[in-house]
Amino acid sequence: MSNSTVSRRHFLKIVGVATGGLCISIALPGNVLAEKGIIEDSSTELNAFIHLDENGDTTIYCGRCEMGQGISTALPSAVADEMEADWQRVTVKQGDADEKFGPQATGGSASIRKMYLPMRKAGATAKLMLIAAAAKVWKTSPDNCYAQSHFVINKLNQQKLGFGELASIAKNMPIPDTVTLKKKSEFNYIGKELARHDQNEVVVGKRTYGVDTKMPGLKYAAMIHCPVLGGSIKSVDKTLALKMKGVTDVIEIPRFDVPFGSIGGVAVVADNTWTAQQAVEKLKVEWDLGENVVYNTKEYKQQLVANVEKPATLAKERGNVHRALKKSKHKHKATYTGGHLSHSPMEPNASVVWVQKDSCEVWASTQSPVDIQKVLGQYLKREPTDIVVHVAMAGGAFGRKFKCDYVHEAAVISEKTGVPIQLIWSREEDMRTGYYHSINAQHIEASMDEQGNVTGWLHRAAFPSIPSLFDPSLVRAPKGALSAISNHLFGVQSIRVESGDAKAHTRIGWYRAVNAIFYGFAFSTFADELAYKAGKDPLTFVNQLFDNNNKKKQKKDIKRIKAVLALVAEKSNWHNRENLPEGQGIGLAVHYSFKSFVAMAVHVEVKNDDIKVLNVDCAIDCGQILNIDGATAQMEGAVVMGMSLALTTEITFRDGAVVNSNFHDYPVMRIADMPNVRVHITDSDKSPTGLGEPGVAPFAPALSNAVFAASGKRYRDLPFKPMAV
Amino acid sequence: MKQSIIINGTKHEINVDSDMPLLWFLRDELEFTGTKFGCGKGLCGACTVHVNGQAIRSCITPVSTLVDKQITTIEGLSENGDHALQRAWLNNKVPQCGYCQAGQIMNAASLLAVNPAPTIEEIEASMQGNICRCGTYQRITKAISEAADTLSKEA
Ligand code: FES
Ligand code: FES
Repeated sequence: MSNSTVSRRHFLKIVGVATGGLCISIALPGNVLAEKGIIEDSSTELNAFIHLDENGDTTIYCGRCEMGQGISTALPSAVADEMEADWQRVTVKQGDADEKFGPQATGGSASIRKMYLPMRKAGATAKLMLIAAAAKVWKTSPDNCYAQSHFVINKLNQQKLGFGELASIAKNMPIPDTVTLKKKSEFNYIGKELARHDQNEVVVGKRTYGVDTKMPGLKYAAMIHCPVLGGSIKSVDKTLALKMKGVTDVIEIPRFDVPFGSIGGVAVVADNTWTAQQAVEKLKVEWDLGENVVYNTKEYKQQLVANVEKPATLAKERGNVHRALKKSKHKHKATYTGGHLSHSPMEPNASVVWVQKDSCEVWASTQSPVDIQKVLGQYLKREPTDIVVHVAMAGGAFGRKFKCDYVHEAAVISEKTGVPIQLIWSREEDMRTGYYHSINAQHIEASMDEQGNVTGWLHRAAFPSIPSLFDPSLVRAPKGALSAISNHLFGVQSIRVESGDAKAHTRIGWYRAVNAIFYGFAFSTFADELAYKAGKDPLTFVNQLFDNNNKKKQKKDIKRIKAVLALVAEKSNWHNRENLPEGQGIGLAVHYSFKSFVAMAVHVEVKNDDIKVLNVDCAIDCGQILNIDGATAQMEGAVVMGMSLALTTEITFRDGAVVNSNFHDYPVMRIADMPNVRVHITDSDKSPTGLGEPGVAPFAPALSNAVFAASGKRYRDLPFKPMAV
Repeated sequence: MKQSIIINGTKHEINVDSDMPLLWFLRDELEFTGTKFGCGKGLCGACTVHVNGQAIRSCITPVSTLVDKQITTIEGLSENGDHALQRAWLNNKVPQCGYCQAGQIMNAASLLAVNPAPTIEEIEASMQGNICRCGTYQRITKAISEAADTLSKEA
């Protein structure tokens, strides 16, 4: 059967009916969606899931993981909108790990991009079935009926039937072959400022997170990991720990040799977390630290700088950069660096696992529930689908909870003790046994002609890359990790990209915005430097760089990126910046990442090297917007995270181990430094893209440019003001 | 006789090690999970509760120091979840992940109790110990000012 002849019936099916209500699951085979350009991966199956009770109460499941980015409001509201459901009657529930919800691994700012249309179609399908049910009752044509606010209404006589009354009839209605989606002008919720579905629970302390799972018989665990990656346990003296009142077990956790697996360690089980944490302190563990004990970030960073300031391994070349550099009289070069970062969400890693003879149940804040099923299935020698994973709301994640080592560990402890185990990592373990944003160095050399057109751009980057997780023998970032450089929207006549050596000595993991953090920093800061070199206004200069891009397939992107830049320039009063008081300045930066465009204008005041960020204007184009409030919140959050990493946060390793331990020596941004953030959203009909990450990249370069404008001092190293640890 | 503490108006016997911090007594013994664990060292404010109306960090306050004291947690801040701060929080759509917000609200409530009309600087100074990693600070400041206004009008 070819794709085009797949009957609607094959991919639209009703999957189960509870208590007379209506359960709709819409399964669209990946290849059909790929054909329609809805998803990129043709092997994926997508679902949406709606449950309607006889009294009209509607439950909409969210299959993507929620960690504060607002997806469990955004996607279900799109379902409700198309269904003509009344949002007040909707309860949102988080789906357990289950392929019926489609891809659940949540990262890459991809949820909205991938699920927006399928979720809307799920809602529209439900609406048509409810309309068909009403038409049947009224013995009229569905054409005479429409749905509105949880009712179906008969146009001919204004009779009304509630969704609840129709549920049991609707479930037997044929599934429509085609659905027509609403027009933008008809939206009730999409593109509006809908509040988070759970904020009422948050403010009274009733919202529960992974760390809040409780159940009868629960025992509590705390643990310690080898401080150096790749190390192992030599010996454990458990005596003192076991002597403590309330301590029941000390358990060695093996290393899981799978992607994102636990690195192993020693856990204490006790009657409560406090006792377990105290007992961990009493363990005497001797470690065999292994070969990464040589890792010192201070020296390592210097080495990365050396590696990018000399020829490195070619990744890509267009034109002849060396010739351009040689020929030009107008040249500039600069080196940029950045440190490791720890995600440090406010909720540390935590999970509850209960392994029994014939079942295994997990409650965890996670970004990747299906991976938990896979890893625990393998560990327990059971079918992955036999591992029940309840996805809890995460108290922040930022990429960390994509890697669920803290679940593997709780499973081992529960398997060995036979009781449900809550494992909570201490903040110190969370900070020291992380997956870190890569330490990095970049060196750029560029040449210009008399008009300030960039003729050559040599760009070397060295950073231990995420692929090193899967292949620790990698000595440098693979070409693919540098493609963002050659694909950058700046128009340069020739470009050469090189990868400098950078072997990983710790686990590198996605951190909100990932490589866009350092690429965004280098590109927008260097462009600003070039503008001064060319004697041009930075905005004019950057626009010229974009205008010089004549790649056909980037034309549309160029238009969009210039538009957000123009918007922040206008909103920040860039054109009148001459009138700013002494010591103040505005810096601009713009970056395209995760298919969204974000520009920032940062307005600072610099006094004796003290940097005070006063205002941040932020313009975004992420296509059709789902939730204005959610988008705004993501930008506010991106500014805060961008400011932490631009100014203060850095993870330092000494002799292979992380030196930082808690928020006193990993100083994330606090309230007194909060600038006034104004978010400007482009009204667009383009297909929607995500916003969880793209806002982070432009902040640091805009800040560097602003500080330079205000004081003449150029910061090229992130963070600008590292704390000595 | 066993010692006890009063939490949200109800007396609870202290049946744990006397140096156990209040945070873990609340979370693991009484299963009041609204009060959160963030750092365990008094550095983040996630665990903020009131002792006789004043904000303290429950992660570094042993239960033994709280005998017969009145403790208020987020669950007990108001009867119907309608404290002016809670209303202002909803109105300004403050929470992102929400994990830090119980601590933020409890800290803010303690501020308003002693300073009903704080300036922005005073708000920031008093909220400086509460971290929000999601970055909701701008809305927190706004919500506290708004709640202060509401309270002055209602008074
Ligand atoms: S958990 Fe108490 S201050 Fe952080
Ligand atoms: S809302 Fe997530 S930490 Fe504050």
